[in-house]
Amino acid sequence: MSALIVISVLAVAVLYLGIFSNKNVLAPVTILGLVAATALLASGWYIPHDLLHGMLDFDRTATAFSMGMAVVAMLVFAFGPDYYARKQWHVAEQYALMLFSLVGGLLLASWTNLLMLFLGIEVLSIPLYVLAGGKKRSLRSSEASLKYFLLGSFATAFLLMGITLLYGLTGSFDMGVLGTFMAAQAAPNMMLNFGLFFVLAGMAFKVGAVPLHFWKPDVYQGAPTLVTTFMATVVLMAAIVGLHRFIDVTGMPQSLAATMALLVLATLLVGNLLALRQTNFKRLMAYSSVSHSGFLLLALLANADTVGSTLLYYTFTYALATVGLFILFTIAKRANNGAEHLGIFKGLFAANPVMALCALALLLSLAGIPLTAGFVAKYQVFLLAIGAGWLKVMAFGVLMALVGIYYYVMVARELFLPAEQPVTFTVAPLNGLVITLCTIAVLALGLWPAWLI
Amino acid sequence: MVLLALVLIPLIAAVLLLALRPAAATARGLALTSSLLTLALTLWLWYTWNGTAVTAINHDWVPAWGMRLVLGYSGIGLLMLVLTAVLFPFIIGTGYKQPVGNGALVNALLLFCQAALFGVFMAQNAFLFYIFFELTLLPIFFLLLRWGGEHKRSITIRFFLYTLLGGLALLFSIAYVTLQTPVPHSADFTALAALDLPMDVQLWLFWAMFLAFAIKMPIFPFHSWQPETYTMAPTQGTMVLSAVMGKMGIYGIVVFLFTILPEGSAHWRHVVVGLSLFGAIYAAVIAFRQDNFKRLVAYSSMSHMGLMCAALFALNTYGISGGLYQTFAHGVLMVCLFYIAGMMHQRVGSHHFAQMGGMKSAMPRLALLFMLVVGNAIAMPLTQSFPGEWLMFTGLWRMEPWLALAGVVLIVLGAIYMLYAYQRVLLGPDRSHTAPDADGEEHFLLVPLIAICFLVGLFPNLVLQLVDAPVQQLLNSFTSLP
Repeated sequence: MSALIVISVLAVAVLYLGIFSNKNVLAPVTILGLVAATALLASGWYIPHDLLHGMLDFDRTATAFSMGMAVVAMLVFAFGPDYYARKQWHVAEQYALMLFSLVGGLLLASWTNLLMLFLGIEVLSIPLYVLAGGKKRSLRSSEASLKYFLLGSFATAFLLMGITLLYGLTGSFDMGVLGTFMAAQAAPNMMLNFGLFFVLAGMAFKVGAVPLHFWKPDVYQGAPTLVTTFMATVVLMAAIVGLHRFIDVTGMPQSLAATMALLVLATLLVGNLLALRQTNFKRLMAYSSVSHSGFLLLALLANADTVGSTLLYYTFTYALATVGLFILFTIAKRANNGAEHLGIFKGLFAANPVMALCALALLLSLAGIPLTAGFVAKYQVFLLAIGAGWLKVMAFGVLMALVGIYYYVMVARELFLPAEQPVTFTVAPLNGLVITLCTIAVLALGLWPAWLI
Repeated sequence: MVLLALVLIPLIAAVLLLALRPAAATARGLALTSSLLTLALTLWLWYTWNGTAVTAINHDWVPAWGMRLVLGYSGIGLLMLVLTAVLFPFIIGTGYKQPVGNGALVNALLLFCQAALFGVFMAQNAFLFYIFFELTLLPIFFLLLRWGGEHKRSITIRFFLYTLLGGLALLFSIAYVTLQTPVPHSADFTALAALDLPMDVQLWLFWAMFLAFAIKMPIFPFHSWQPETYTMAPTQGTMVLSAVMGKMGIYGIVVFLFTILPEGSAHWRHVVVGLSLFGAIYAAVIAFRQDNFKRLVAYSSMSHMGLMCAALFALNTYGISGGLYQTFAHGVLMVCLFYIAGMMHQRVGSHHFAQMGGMKSAMPRLALLFMLVVGNAIAMPLTQSFPGEWLMFTGLWRMEPWLALAGVVLIVLGAIYMLYAYQRVLLGPDRSHTAPDADGEEHFLLVPLIAICFLVGLFPNLVLQLVDAPVQQLLNSFTSLP
């Protein structure tokens, strides 16, 4: 609770700081505030918090995910000073909106009441609709904002529809009531199935599961890179944990499992195959994030006891690698006069071997090569799927992991090619630090995964 | 401690090379020193080996999934370690006369690969095995992608994806069998061997695991990456691939399939023997038709690997020990043959037979060395291949007498294509080549290799004694064979 308050107050405070138009203090203030919030979260580790008459529950899963999101948000904010260096106006608002969105993430991590789920999704999303249009004069940015808003509203409608059906059945928004209701059901219940289905569909949109993935490439590409980074990391973590809390209570009834398995297969197939054809780095990351969502849904499908820790490990390490790579992408983009194709990474190894090796490690982690965290993450998902007996779905996942390795390695290859014309990569010290931290964390978590499991 | 040193010495040397980026000569010197050091250590292990399996290091890593750091070796593992250690000084030495690219980088990649290979053959935990198994791939991938020949990009990618596919199938199998072990799960080979999996599981799991090893060796019909890759790769890369990395497949079959899935292996053995022998004959026929020397050697390697795999699946003492023995002989032979192919390429600027011929009078010493190697390749008595082929044929005969017929066909085909290659390279009308004869450095590399060939040929027990006890132990699990 205290963390929620701290972050909300922090966001308001940051808004006021905007009055003084001194943007140098914004990032330090935000990061310090987040450190405080993380410390508060950590201090509540052993005390399960039951808040607002049982509408929120900061149990272990919620606390761990909230801390993960806060840490990743700190890394994203640490990229802020450099990213906004050339921007004069509305910088404080951007920080504040991201903080509000993070509050939504915390709600999603801890909800136990369907109303809170809805509230969390909205608090998470509404700032993002604004943020996606952050570059006011860019058509792509405006398109991203509008598209995200329209499609997001549809998803919200689905979600509300599902919540309504479930409320109609049980007469309560509480997940505990729903759980007991479902346990008492012997015969299949059409209304219940539709309720579960609609909630799942609404959440699947946020995760970016096929066929609700269409917003991802356009929004990723159009949004300012910093916002894209935030969406690809914190928002994904929030959406996944929200869905996890839902499935944790409902379990995986037969009717839901078939839909979910179909969703997993489609997401893995479409995400990976379309990623193969991408030449724009941001779109590549968008489609590959669809494919990662497929793996996350596979873990949810298995729905064993350890699924929470697996999801946290997967999303957290994915977020680390993604933050590092998007910063590297911005560096390369600037060096190439704003180009976004994959070729902008050419010559990085010759110019800055340390950064190139970091990029290599991060890409290999996303690809899931052994000794990186990404491999451990995928392996956990496979273990879960085998344990739950989804052998064929998992075999398909393995095949798709292979496709994933291909396109990541193709990006990695660019790093070592000579540049066509001389380019200078300028790495701001703070950015270099964040990238190095991400790389070290990804490798360390790959070598000693027992830390997080 | 020695085992850890075997992985760490090449690793440290490689990191040093990467960090310091010395000139090519210094880089080769450092790499050679490191490889000789590991050779000395391995020979010491061989010398002190007393016939029992050794486990030197045993630590928990990720207890939840049975991932543990366990290093050790049985006789079979030791044979593979010796093979790796013996060959790498020669592979690195090849760089003296036939340098490729950036000396520091190439040697660093080779050393990384060696470290990973040592790891593969020492790992006593399936998970650890898998990690090293995949790590061997990365340095070779970069070596090929950077310094390969024509069409390097598409060929390398195909090779990479092909072998990764096998690797992922293996990972899938490892995850599956680990979850079948009693809680707390363990992926140690000892724990996995103790499993008694139901027959229907063994039947499908066999193919998931076999896929990984069949691609690595390669075995028909999973071979289509091999000829192109071997031909395109720089000589040192081809040597590592054919002489050592292919052997991971053989080793994997023995430690995974035979110990974890004995019933599955016994059930499918006729299919595997059929595929392997068909592939072996098929490759031999294609080898005969080649007009490119390096590609001919590539196909001959595939033919030999097929025979070895078939012999293993005869599932008797002769077959298994013959197949394992032959991994050593074949490794040494491949380094010799690809070295000679590289020498020829330097002299005439091509691998095509059309550019060669009539070189014998100009280079008599090279002709003699080549003749000795060819003698080994066609398994003349007293050479190292002879006892191996004899054992393998006996093994196949014991399984089904008519299978030995396929063996005879292979001997004849092998002799034909090798001797025909010799003829096209060296004999024929004198073309008055101006290229020099084999020089001191080349002798320095080839003579010891040929000496090893004959030493092992005369005393095959040097190698066979390593595998005797483990093979007997292995066969005990097959007592219920039909």
